[in-house]
Amino acid sequence: MFGKVLVANRGEIAVRIIRALREAGIASVAVFSDADRASLAVQMADEAAHLGPAAALESYLRIDKIINAARRHGAEAIHPGYGFLSENAEFADACQAAGIVFIGPPAGAIRRMGSKTEARKLAIGAGAPVVPGTESSVSDLDEARNVADRLGYPVLLKAAAGGGGKGMRRVDGEADLGAAIRDASSEAGRAFGNDEVYLEKLVLEPRHIEIQVLGDQHGHLIHLGERECSLQRRHQKVMEECPSPVMAEFSELRPRMGEAALKIARAAEYSNAGTLEFLVDRDRNFYFLEMNTRLQVEHPVTELATGIDLVQWQLRIAAGERLTIAQEDVSWSGCAIECRMYAEDPENQYVPSPGRITRLQEPSGPGIRLDSGVYEGWVVPMEYDPLLAKLAVWASSREGAVARMRRALQEYKIGGIRTNRAFFSEVLDDELFRAGQLSTAFLEQFFERRKERAADPEAEAVAALVAALALRKPADVSEARGSSEWLRSGREAELR
Amino acid sequence: MTYDVIIDGRPARLSFEGTSFRYEHGEGQSLQHDFSIEPAGEGRFAVLADARSYEVVLLSSGEIWVNGRVFRVEVFDPRGLRAREQGAESQGRRKILAPMPGRVIRVLVELDQEVEAGQGLIVVEAMKMQNEMKSPRAGRVVEVKTAPGAAVSAGEVLVILE
Repeated sequence: MFGKVLVANRGEIAVRIIRALREAGIASVAVFSDADRASLAVQMADEAAHLGPAAALESYLRIDKIINAARRHGAEAIHPGYGFLSENAEFADACQAAGIVFIGPPAGAIRRMGSKTEARKLAIGAGAPVVPGTESSVSDLDEARNVADRLGYPVLLKAAAGGGGKGMRRVDGEADLGAAIRDASSEAGRAFGNDEVYLEKLVLEPRHIEIQVLGDQHGHLIHLGERECSLQRRHQKVMEECPSPVMAEFSELRPRMGEAALKIARAAEYSNAGTLEFLVDRDRNFYFLEMNTRLQVEHPVTELATGIDLVQWQLRIAAGERLTIAQEDVSWSGCAIECRMYAEDPENQYVPSPGRITRLQEPSGPGIRLDSGVYEGWVVPMEYDPLLAKLAVWASSREGAVARMRRALQEYKIGGIRTNRAFFSEVLDDELFRAGQLSTAFLEQFFERRKERAADPEAEAVAALVAALALRKPADVSEARGSSEWLRSGREAELR
Repeated sequence: MTYDVIIDGRPARLSFEGTSFRYEHGEGQSLQHDFSIEPAGEGRFAVLADARSYEVVLLSSGEIWVNGRVFRVEVFDPRGLRAREQGAESQGRRKILAPMPGRVIRVLVELDQEVEAGQGLIVVEAMKMQNEMKSPRAGRVVEVKTAPGAAVSAGEVLVILE
C-alpha cells in the first residue's frame, strides 16, 4: 500500500479522500490555489502544495504543477477526485511517465469512454442498449439538421467531452438548432477545452439511473447496484438515492442493468471505480448514456446502502490488491438519500451565491453522514462549482430516510450565502416525491405545482422579537421590560 | 415600546407589554405570549414563548433562523419606515445589476436598442455556470456599462434601460 498520496482536487471531495487516507494510515498531500489557501482540505491534510492563481486553468487543471507537487512531496500516487483532471487521459499518462500511480482506471479506458460518441460505439458493440443518435460529433449545421430530422424533435445536444450538463441543450425545433449548437459548443469549449457536440433523441421524462462498478487490475469486476439521480436542475444532479424507488416494483431491473453495465465496463477493459449512466423510460426500457471514469459525487449513497467503502477500494485496487468481494456478496440494505447543498438561490434561477459563510451549524445524530468542504468563516470562492457539502442519510426504509433527511435539513444552519436547504425540505414533502415517481423533469414540474409554504406566524413572531432585541440601538434597551439576562444578550448580539 | 418590522417582505408590528410581547401581522391578526430569552452562545438564543421552545440563531445581517425556518427581518421605528417608503419611489430608468460576482461573457444588446421584456441582455459567468440576464420589461438601452471579459461584483450596474 502507498505511504503518501496527493489529492488533486478541492472542496468536499478532497476532504472525503483525505479522511479515507487517514483511516488507511496513509499520509495526505493537499493542493490549493490562491483562493483555497485556508480551505478545510488544506487544514486537514498532512501536507499541502500551492498550485497557482484561483483560475482552475492556472491551478487544478495544470498537469505539470500537480506532478511537480507530487514529486516534491514524495507522493507515490495521486487521487484525482471528480471533475478537474479526473477524466483526463493525458493526466493519467503523465502520472505513469513520472512513476506515480493514478488512482483510477487505466488511461486507455479513460480514452475509450471519455468521448461519449466512442463510448456509444463501444456499448453498441458490447450489446448494451443506447439512445438513438449520432455516433460522431456534428460538424456543420446542414448535417445537424439532417440528423435531427431523422431522429425527430425534440433532440438533445451534448458535449462530446462533457459531463455535468455543461454544453448540453434541448432543441425543440429546427429554428433553434443553429443558436443551440453555437451556445453548446462555446460552453463545451470553455468547460472542457473541446467544443465538439453531438445529437441524441430526447427520451421524454426518463429516470436517470446509474450503475456503480468496481474492478481490480486482475480482471475481477462487480457492480454495486444503482443510484437514482433523476432530480436534476440544469442537467446537474441535486439529490440521489439508493435503491432507486423503481426497484421496489421491478426488482429484475437491477440485475439486468448491472449485467449491461458490466458488459460495457469489460469491453472498455475497465478497472477501479466507475459509473455507467442510463436513462430508464416509462416502460422500464433502459439506455446507456455515458460512463464516468472516476468516483462520482453521489458515491456516499452506494456506500451507505452496501456498506462498501469505495474510496478505500480505489486505493487498494490502485495499489494492485485484489478485489475480494464477489458479486453474490454484494447486498443492499435500507435506503440512503443524499442532498447536494449548493451555494445558489433556487428561488432565482439557481444563481450562484458565493461569499462568506457567517454561520454554520451542521446536523448530526442517528443515520446522518455529512461530507462537507466548508466551515464557519470560509469564503466560498466564485471560481469553482458551488457544491458546499453533501448531506446523506440512511434508514431502514425510504419513508424513514425521507423523515430523517427532513430532520437533518431542519437542524442545518447556513448563514451569509443562499443555499438550496429549504428547497429540499419542500421537495421531501411533495406527494409525488414520496411516492417515488421521479423523472429528470421532476424539478421543473415541481416548480410549477409547488404551493407557497404555509406561514408559521408563531416562529415569525419569535424572529421579529429577537430581531427587535438584537438590532436596536443600546439606548432603546432600557425601555423594554423583562429579565436583565435577555436585555444584556440583546445588547451584545450585534448582527454580523 | 413598539417596532415596525418587515419580515420576508411583509409589514408587521411588535410591541412589549410587561413580560409579554404582542405581534400584529396580516390583516388585524395578532398573537401574544409571555416570553423569556436566554443567550445560548454568540448570536444564539433559547426562547420560550409561553410553553413553546424555540432555537433562534442569527445567521447573518437580517437573517434569523427559528426552528428550521429562516426569516429575513428588518426592524424600524415608525418614523424610519415612513422615510424608507418615500425613498422607494420608482423612476423611469431601470438598472440591471449583476446578481453575483463573476465575469461578463457576452453583451447581447447595443446602445439605443429597443428590447422586449424577457429578452437576453448580458451573459455573466460565475462558478462555471453561464447566466443570461433578461430584461425585466420592454424598453430602450440607454447605457451599457460593461464589456465582455470584464469582472463584475454583485450589485454592479451592467445595463440601464429606459
